[in-house]
Amino acid sequence: MGQYTNLFVPSFETDQDEEVERKTEMQTLNGGGGGVWRFKGNKAAKEAASVSMKGILSRLFENCSRDGKKTILPLGHCDPIVYPCFKTSVEAEEAVAESLRSGAANSYAPGVGILPARRAVANYLNSDLPHKLKSDDIFMTIGCCQGIETIIQVLSSPKSNILLSSLVYPLYHSYAIHDLAEIRKYELLPDQDWEIDLQSVEAIADHNTVAMVICNPHNPCGNVYTYHHLKKVAEMARKLGIMVISDEVFKETIYGKNPFVPMGIFASIVPVVTLGSISKGWLVPGWRIGWMAMNDPSNVFKTTGVVESIKHLLNISPDPSTILQFALPNILEKTKKDYFEKKNLTLSQNVDMMFDALKEIPCLVCPKKPESCTSLVTKLDLSLLEDITDDVDFCMKLAREENLVLLPGEVFGKNNWVRISIGVERSMLQDAFVRLKDFFTRHIKSQTT
Amino acid sequence: MATTPMCTEWQFSGNEAAKEAAAAALGAYTSKLMALCDPNGKPILPPSNKAVETSNSAEKAVVKFILSGTGNAYAPSIGLPLAKSAVAEYLNRDLPKKLTAADVFMTVGCKRAIDLAVDILAKPKANVLLPRPGFPWDVVRCIYKKLEVRYYDFIPEQNFEIDFESVKKVTDKNTFAIFIINPHNPNGNTYSEAHLKQLAELAKELSIMVVSDEVFRWTVFGNNPFVPMGKFSSIVPVVTLGSLSKGWNVPGWRTGWLALHDLDGVFRNTKILQAANEFLQINAKPPTVIQAAMPDILERTPKHFFHERGSFLKHKVDIGYSKVKHIPGLTCYMKPEACTFLWTKLDISCFADIEDDQDFCRKLAMEENLVVLPGIAFRQKNWLRHSIDMETQTVEDAFERLKSFCERHSAERGASLKNVNGVN
Repeated sequence: MGQYTNLFVPSFETDQDEEVERKTEMQTLNGGGGGVWRFKGNKAAKEAASVSMKGILSRLFENCSRDGKKTILPLGHCDPIVYPCFKTSVEAEEAVAESLRSGAANSYAPGVGILPARRAVANYLNSDLPHKLKSDDIFMTIGCCQGIETIIQVLSSPKSNILLSSLVYPLYHSYAIHDLAEIRKYELLPDQDWEIDLQSVEAIADHNTVAMVICNPHNPCGNVYTYHHLKKVAEMARKLGIMVISDEVFKETIYGKNPFVPMGIFASIVPVVTLGSISKGWLVPGWRIGWMAMNDPSNVFKTTGVVESIKHLLNISPDPSTILQFALPNILEKTKKDYFEKKNLTLSQNVDMMFDALKEIPCLVCPKKPESCTSLVTKLDLSLLEDITDDVDFCMKLAREENLVLLPGEVFGKNNWVRISIGVERSMLQDAFVRLKDFFTRHIKSQTT
Repeated sequence: MATTPMCTEWQFSGNEAAKEAAAAALGAYTSKLMALCDPNGKPILPPSNKAVETSNSAEKAVVKFILSGTGNAYAPSIGLPLAKSAVAEYLNRDLPKKLTAADVFMTVGCKRAIDLAVDILAKPKANVLLPRPGFPWDVVRCIYKKLEVRYYDFIPEQNFEIDFESVKKVTDKNTFAIFIINPHNPNGNTYSEAHLKQLAELAKELSIMVVSDEVFRWTVFGNNPFVPMGKFSSIVPVVTLGSLSKGWNVPGWRTGWLALHDLDGVFRNTKILQAANEFLQINAKPPTVIQAAMPDILERTPKHFFHERGSFLKHKVDIGYSKVKHIPGLTCYMKPEACTFLWTKLDISCFADIEDDQDFCRKLAMEENLVVLPGIAFRQKNWLRHSIDMETQTVEDAFERLKSFCERHSAERGASLKNVNGVN
């Protein structure tokens, strides 16, 4: 249980506490404690939080049994770093330790980030870009998440809408809801390597559309977009008069054949905001440091006020720790290539194992073996199953019967799909396969003649 | 850059939601004044980019977790359990009613704790009471969240105690909370136990909670001891805000907390607890690696670290205070007993060509490369906040420059010049 304790801390109370709440409320209203207090907690974040993964994951974990007969296998969320087979790079650790010891990183940083960090990120990204970024084009954020939060907040206005893929990291939804931005979903094509259905993009865009968000490499599908495809995306965005926001947080977690192509390459066609961080590449999501890069040789972001908006917002928003910012140049420059090769090899082997194993579980179909990221998405063939109504039902029963937690597709935008994390110990995947097989055998629809 | 016809084709633009709020932040004032300084002139004071030392134990604690690889994962949105219980235990040393880990939420610095406190209260008709003067971060967030702000005042002649009459005057049925800062930035005082008890009873009478920003509780060097507001949570529900930033000199570490000192389950019933959870689920988190080190940082930092820091600050306060005594036009009502500043009233009539506090600060920056913040940044016009957290020589230099500036611009001197020029 030790290594999973972080998963079991409930974000909010269960039914038991609601009963206590009701009782106490009655007491207070009846004159205990000097009368009723005027203040109340508001619900601003409620709906936004409800679409997060954590809600459904909590419920799935609660369904698991704790009688100790089967260890709980948490393959619903992706945090490889908790497992001994995944570690960060020694150079990264040294960089941060040095940053702490120097005493030079204890002070406040400016809202946009400290110059050495911004410069280091620009250099890091520039190795793949024809239009070179300057340090001024980079903003430091608390992980990629704050980059998402910032760009959505800055673009939100009463009428604007933002295009997102139908399969997407749920936090985009949370922020859109929270900032009252309208989301419109475009489709991905599972039979075409999960490419973006550009016709669906054009169909849903209108004169109030301000941006389209892409995720490359794609979480959760695991594909890496080709140069050719991204160029078409750029041309479509330009035609529609919208910016492209490219979430590239997984760019260092690629193990397939397709090379990574940064969207920033097409910045002369359309202005691009690139979001990134070291969280996934270096397996340090807990360090909370990332960036936004403005790929914009024609200065469109300046003339449309986007840059100024970002600066204002960053001045009143929390900052990533100066320690991490100070260490970032060394982290980015000194980490050796073989660190990534080793890490990605482990993931690749896990993917191979699981992809092959799933062939023996007909109710879970994986249309394309992932070439990046840390999960596999599978379509759930309900026609093969007795008494399972949908993906949530499947996952709930799986949790209850087998202590195996997978993520229902409803959470990432695709009903009746299931996401399996492969950023875990090999033995856990083997165990998961056995349990899935047992579950399938138990729930298989009987053949009636 | 030629204006491109391209910009009219694009459908997106940056909104101005954060603009007004950003203008209220101290950073907005500081950066404008810094920009007026001459980079080729005297060293700009206060000096930036200096290496700031924290306690060895704190540093070692974080390094330990970095090198062990156990602080690299996502932490739960409400905070790492170990960090929460370490904070609860630490705060409990001075509290009759004990906190549990569940009452503590980890935040990105005390600033984010302020944001959280404001966000969970913001409602269309609600208003909150903020101190005037006061560190403006709560104002910044209220502007951003469109929460109505009302100010209460202090009595400088009574060691800057809260003027309770001013509190009563602005409270109405839509008031949700009163925010206090203790020790106070910029007044520099710590409230006595009796005074805080009075405040608790007043808040109870008005049916509002007390939110207490206690970020400076470790930098107290006067005779009055620090008393946590949480001590009075048997009278009124209290929210305490804090962080490592000031006590350990590590504002760059960005790790703080919000603690709920509940009274009869009120925070639960009024959904304050739930709102806090929801806010944290979708918001940025402090680095796991520092959270993991919290128990070591809070429990193992030796007392002498704080004593030495306190002595350092007291010594500099003494220097500044005695210099200011000889500067006509600047009045320091009370020698600070906490924090890292001197707070002086500015008598415009003593100066020939100074319009107000902002004008004073602009000219001071331009002429002396010295950045002092105008009271308007803290919502109190014609006062000045001087930093004293510098080495002895530097602080003496700073106040010498201040003195010569004031002499140059003094009304007497100005008057004689005016006579010569025949200008009225």
